[in-house]
Amino acid sequence: MIEVDESKLIRCPICDAVNIDKGKKNRCRRCDSAIYHHRNFSTEKSWAYLITAMIAYIPANLYPMLVSNAFGIRDESTIIGGVVILWEHGSYPIAAIIFFASIIIPVMKFLILLYLLISVKYPLGKDKKVNKHKLYYVTEVVGPWSMIDVFVVAILAALIHLSSVEILAGTAATAFAISVFFTLLAAHAFDERLIKENR
Amino acid sequence: MKLENENDLDNFIICHKCFTLHEEVAIADGSKACCRKCGYILYRYDSKLIDYGLALSFTGLIFFIIANFFPVLKIDILGSEQFITIPKTIFSLFENQFYIVGLICLFFIFIFPLMIFLINIMIFSMLKLQRGTKLTKELLIILSHIIPWSMADIFFISILVALVKLISFGQIHIGISFWALMVFVLIDIYITKNIHISEIWMLRKKVLLSKDKD
Repeated sequence: MIEVDESKLIRCPICDAVNIDKGKKNRCRRCDSAIYHHRNFSTEKSWAYLITAMIAYIPANLYPMLVSNAFGIRDESTIIGGVVILWEHGSYPIAAIIFFASIIIPVMKFLILLYLLISVKYPLGKDKKVNKHKLYYVTEVVGPWSMIDVFVVAILAALIHLSSVEILAGTAATAFAISVFFTLLAAHAFDERLIKENR
Repeated sequence: MKLENENDLDNFIICHKCFTLHEEVAIADGSKACCRKCGYILYRYDSKLIDYGLALSFTGLIFFIIANFFPVLKIDILGSEQFITIPKTIFSLFENQFYIVGLICLFFIFIFPLMIFLINIMIFSMLKLQRGTKLTKELLIILSHIIPWSMADIFFISILVALVKLISFGQIHIGISFWALMVFVLIDIYITKNIHISEIWMLRKKVLLSKDKD
């Protein structure tokens, strides 16, 4: 017979098994993977990924995402430029999708992760009833959707490459892909348990 | 809370969304248990899960293979016809020296979706044959690591967005792969959203570990 405190129970992030929180050396009893081993530097990993992602997001917005060559006329468009062009051409839903996927979602993710990372260290918004688990869940679900723009550029670049009409991916595609990749890493590295401890 | 030993914790489940602790109860075949706080689905019980899983994984794999061999889109520009397949999209990124984007695309839209289906087939066939206690464990761990990185569904939406952008360029034809990919994505969503990994772990415990004791 063992006595267990209910608040001491944690979920293995890999296999979802319920485990007893034994402090530093947590190993899942079912899948044997480490459950957030890095207690002493719990948020640093996530911080590092997040900062990398935010730095990569700057060139992603400054450099051209799409370069089109039509009959010798070179036309470069950034992410925002692409959205504006689509809007002017009247394809409002597509412009909205791209705007959401490449501007709103990444920025929202940065802000939410920043808020979560700060709030688990300092008692920020503790009195306000913000459901942090829900916020985290939302970032995890919508996060990958910002890859849409990168895939679209890849498809267009692969499809249209004639000598007279040509579409090429721009520098921003790499920067943006890196940015999204690191925000995803940051979200995965975030220790969900910290939310619980600070509530 | 008192427990006989640590393995009794298997009877408990923590909600994925809001971290509420629940005790697992037996439910009717084909029904599901939801979180009492946020309504998120905790687990389902389906006595034919192995067969369904196996059938869906095989179907998905077949559609994935079809989707990779035939053109996704064809376009007539200035009298010449251009087409893309999924591998060609990825390779053209490498040809244009976009190695990082190429690698990311290669893993997210080709390797990971393929791996998910292959691993699912292996897990379910081993559960069906009632063997491979250790291998299923390793496979399940790999599976839960790669599921968040599989983006076949997002790629499909990207094709739709690209279609709209292409309208001004010329006559567009939708290829066989487009439809195959659509079916694949639907199966992929069904499998990753409906068959939780914890359900497979529970099934594994029931099928493989109880057998070892006998």
